[in-house]
Amino acid sequence: MSNSILEGETAGFRQTESAAGNVTVVMSMQQALNRALDEVLAENPKAVIFGEDCGRLGGVFRITDGLQSKHGENRVFDTPLAESGILGMSVGLAMAGFHPIPEVQFDGFAYPAINQIVCQIARMNYRSRGTLPMPITLRVPSFGGIRAPEHHGESLEALFAHVPGLKVVSPSNPHEAYHLLKYAATRPDPVIFMEPKSRYWQKGDVDAADGGSPEGAKVQREGRHLTLVAWGAMVARCLQVAELAAEDGIDIEVLDLRWLKPIDADALVASVRKTRRAVVVHEAPLTSGLGAEVAQLITQGCFDTLKAPVERVTGFDVPYPSGDLEDEYIPNIDRILFGIQRVLEYRRG
Amino acid sequence: MAEISFPLPDLGEGLIEATVLEWLVSPGDQVERNQPLVEVETTKSAVELPSPQAGKVVRIHGGPGDRINVGEPLIVFEVPDNTAGIVGTVPKEEAPKRRVRLSAVLDED
Repeated sequence: MSNSILEGETAGFRQTESAAGNVTVVMSMQQALNRALDEVLAENPKAVIFGEDCGRLGGVFRITDGLQSKHGENRVFDTPLAESGILGMSVGLAMAGFHPIPEVQFDGFAYPAINQIVCQIARMNYRSRGTLPMPITLRVPSFGGIRAPEHHGESLEALFAHVPGLKVVSPSNPHEAYHLLKYAATRPDPVIFMEPKSRYWQKGDVDAADGGSPEGAKVQREGRHLTLVAWGAMVARCLQVAELAAEDGIDIEVLDLRWLKPIDADALVASVRKTRRAVVVHEAPLTSGLGAEVAQLITQGCFDTLKAPVERVTGFDVPYPSGDLEDEYIPNIDRILFGIQRVLEYRRG
Repeated sequence: MAEISFPLPDLGEGLIEATVLEWLVSPGDQVERNQPLVEVETTKSAVELPSPQAGKVVRIHGGPGDRINVGEPLIVFEVPDNTAGIVGTVPKEEAPKRRVRLSAVLDED
């Protein structure tokens, strides 16, 4: 892998040792995902990775960089430009005892594979009374923010989460990416792994030895006055908003949902019972977005203590716009602050 | 930094080679995506090849008159680690900007 930008494993990374003796490494989400896949291939001889440009090129986002030369062309390989075929092949491989880790190169390319995902992958275990499990980890570079053309910035979590039999997860930073992918790739069930592509390049601490629980939601910032619920790329933005809100004396908790199916209702309720106010933020369009599900779970569990109805700050009910307009589409800091203000000033009639 | 090699692409219609007419970039040049790199001639026509990506030119293969087979190295780029893929751009990390201020009376009832 002489041409690899991820070459050298930890060689180029800054390492620090925590008080607990754990070594944390600073790396980008690209590098964290690459390392997780490398380890999955090494640990599970049945794991195979494939997709458009996943092999020789190493993926358009370099996530599978160097894996083919290291693990061989039978473990990491290129496919034709045919998502239905990529996912259909995953079904057959899973039936034959493999753990396929296919990639759909961009969110919007998943549509041609919906039949395989919904009609086969999600239900084969159910249909076969548990005799044909589908341990498939489908990686989908997701969400917007990189000025890309149509079909390269969409948020499909609500579509996937609506399908019984699928699990859906999205990491928000390199540490989460490493641990959640390693966990997802050992599940006996199909997991849709939505990678926030606008966060691929930002670096963060990865503690490979200590990931905490890979299940459920995670509080990324504690606060007293209001809970911001987000996932994927919106978590980082909500953390920025929380810092700005602190300047105004508002103490915000940021709950990183991580798993979008199943949703960690206990964590939602625990957080909002404490803060009594909630705003959910996502890039996907408003109507029938996952924010509605989150708002209902909060309302169900916190109705008697809520200070205001749960607000949603989301994308708009339009097709995802071209790159020049995406800053107007994706919830920005001011729109999130407005949402917070609406909750703060709500008074019962 | 990483080096990325770009081989002579299949120029279509069963062509298996091309002859370099003129290089439009030199080693050391910083090129943008879609910038013309080289003019080559096939048995069908002379064409300019656009750059598949942005980067710094490290090496070029073949001078004017040299034949290059499809799939053989044509040009090598050096790109920073923090680079976008084939599609899109790396988002800029900017200090958060705000216009909205929060105001609230937080009665602790």
